[in-house]
Amino acid sequence: MATELQLLWMALLLYTLAGSTAIGATVLATRFERVILAMILAGLAAHTLSLGLRWERLGHGPFITMFEILSSNVWSLLLIYAFAYWRAPAVRPAAAVVMPILLVMMAWLLVTSPAAGHYPPTYRTLWLYVHVLFGKIFLGAVLIAVGIAGLILLRRAGVRVARLTQLPDAGRLENLAFRFMALGFIFETLMLIAGAIWAQDAWGRYWAWDPLETWAFATWLALACFIHLRVTVRLEPHYSAALIIAVFVLAFLTFFGVPFVSTAPHKGAV
Amino acid sequence: MTWFNRLASPKFTLVVLGLLGAGVLLVYPGDVRSDWALTVPLALLAINLACAVATNPVFRQQSALLAFHLALLAIVVLAAAGRLTYLKGELELAEGEVFEGTLTRHESGPWHRSQLARARFANDGYTIRYEKGVRRAETRNTVRWLDDTGRERHAVIGDNEPLVRHGYRFYASFNKGFAPVFMWRPAGGAPLRGTINLPTYPIHEFRQALEWTIPGTQTTLWTMLQFDEVLLDPEQVSRFRLPQRHTLVIRIGDMRHELAPGARLALPQGVLVYERLGTWMGYTVFYDWTLPWLFVACMLAVTSLAWHFWKKFAAQPWDR
Repeated sequence: MATELQLLWMALLLYTLAGSTAIGATVLATRFERVILAMILAGLAAHTLSLGLRWERLGHGPFITMFEILSSNVWSLLLIYAFAYWRAPAVRPAAAVVMPILLVMMAWLLVTSPAAGHYPPTYRTLWLYVHVLFGKIFLGAVLIAVGIAGLILLRRAGVRVARLTQLPDAGRLENLAFRFMALGFIFETLMLIAGAIWAQDAWGRYWAWDPLETWAFATWLALACFIHLRVTVRLEPHYSAALIIAVFVLAFLTFFGVPFVSTAPHKGAV
Repeated sequence: MTWFNRLASPKFTLVVLGLLGAGVLLVYPGDVRSDWALTVPLALLAINLACAVATNPVFRQQSALLAFHLALLAIVVLAAAGRLTYLKGELELAEGEVFEGTLTRHESGPWHRSQLARARFANDGYTIRYEKGVRRAETRNTVRWLDDTGRERHAVIGDNEPLVRHGYRFYASFNKGFAPVFMWRPAGGAPLRGTINLPTYPIHEFRQALEWTIPGTQTTLWTMLQFDEVLLDPEQVSRFRLPQRHTLVIRIGDMRHELAPGARLALPQGVLVYERLGTWMGYTVFYDWTLPWLFVACMLAVTSLAWHFWKKFAAQPWDR
């Protein structure tokens, strides 16, 4: 267990360095993009090893305790962000917004207990992996949209740091953020379908309005409203950005807040 | 603007989605019955979708978007049909007992026509493994039934694996326990074998007692299972099993008797023979014929929406 934790701390240190560099680069208008990506990838390599060692030791994936859920989500969100960072240069400045959000999750991770939890028999199904995979892609896509939305709002709020002034206009940024929200909507829908199939086999009902299902549906509804509004009404980019952040807050509370209030068997262990 | 156009308008869609959100929040604490809080917005959504598809020219230009909205409409209609015809219930079967169609508790849609009597199956016993701390791991329940050709079939059901018979899905539940088997020989009547299902074990470990009435009589018995062994040791991995030694305490009025397996108890109306200790398993049953169609409609909705966005976004690269 000591090696697992050492690797995790190493990963968190590298992520923190990447985040600090990203913020510094935004303020100073310098381009440390390769350095930031290299630090994220090095962190991901250490984090992957840490998760793998824990999986091997416990015999199950990181789906049960808050420590595992936070750790696996930090990993998956950074993996998705790193992929977008590499493939779409337009999302790179968003690191200054995305990384602080992830740093908050990492700080939370550090104060949770790494003790093992009970792996319920209903989790021994392929649908768990499918459900979790779609959920992670959904949250990753929305996080990238939040990063871009944050840039729009920072500039609108009059934050005139050098890198922000070099970005494309708000309309183009908002269009890019909308694409990631659309991607998130597809994957959230798939996550709900996979979850319903799993719930039918595990608990004999595909939908029961348990706290996690209710809040996941509320998030889906909020996302559907946003996409419908964006398509049918000409929204100003800063309104659109504010809605993106509201949807993310709802999604974040669903993923990480519901396990605190739920006593149902399906208590948010994604 | 006509009423039809108003019902088809995208602004009305937003109102309906808002109402649906409000309905979800009303249902969530469990204070409001879900039927109306969700049915009204979903009915309005179906009307809005149908009117929009009929009047909005954008759907004739964008076939993927049309497919998505039609699939959404199908999901709403199927969900409504499912609520009208569904069944959810519970039953208990002692080891070797055959399910004949009687549920201990159930709820169903008003249009459900029960075919449960056709879904006969027998419980042939189960194994349950417990991890340290008496945390339930795998449940394996062997069931047996005759298929439509009269051939005997067997299956092992349990976590994530229901028995599906004539559209009814039977799930072995966490609800299970001990079931003493009795033979009742009434004076001058035919003997009758039966079981009583003691409260769920290990949840009610210290309350293994039940009051019951002997069939065809007014005699009420209080029955308690008594044993000293630790069956599920919190310090070890263990399995659900019968105790190696036990007695059954029977109280009739002020009389107290302790019975071992095979013991007989003479009563004024006949003889009660305690044959052996067995087990029982609790099942939940679920019926909803719309499930495969809902899956198809959901997949159609998500693939058509993905196709729509793909075409829309492919026109301009992501890295600009």
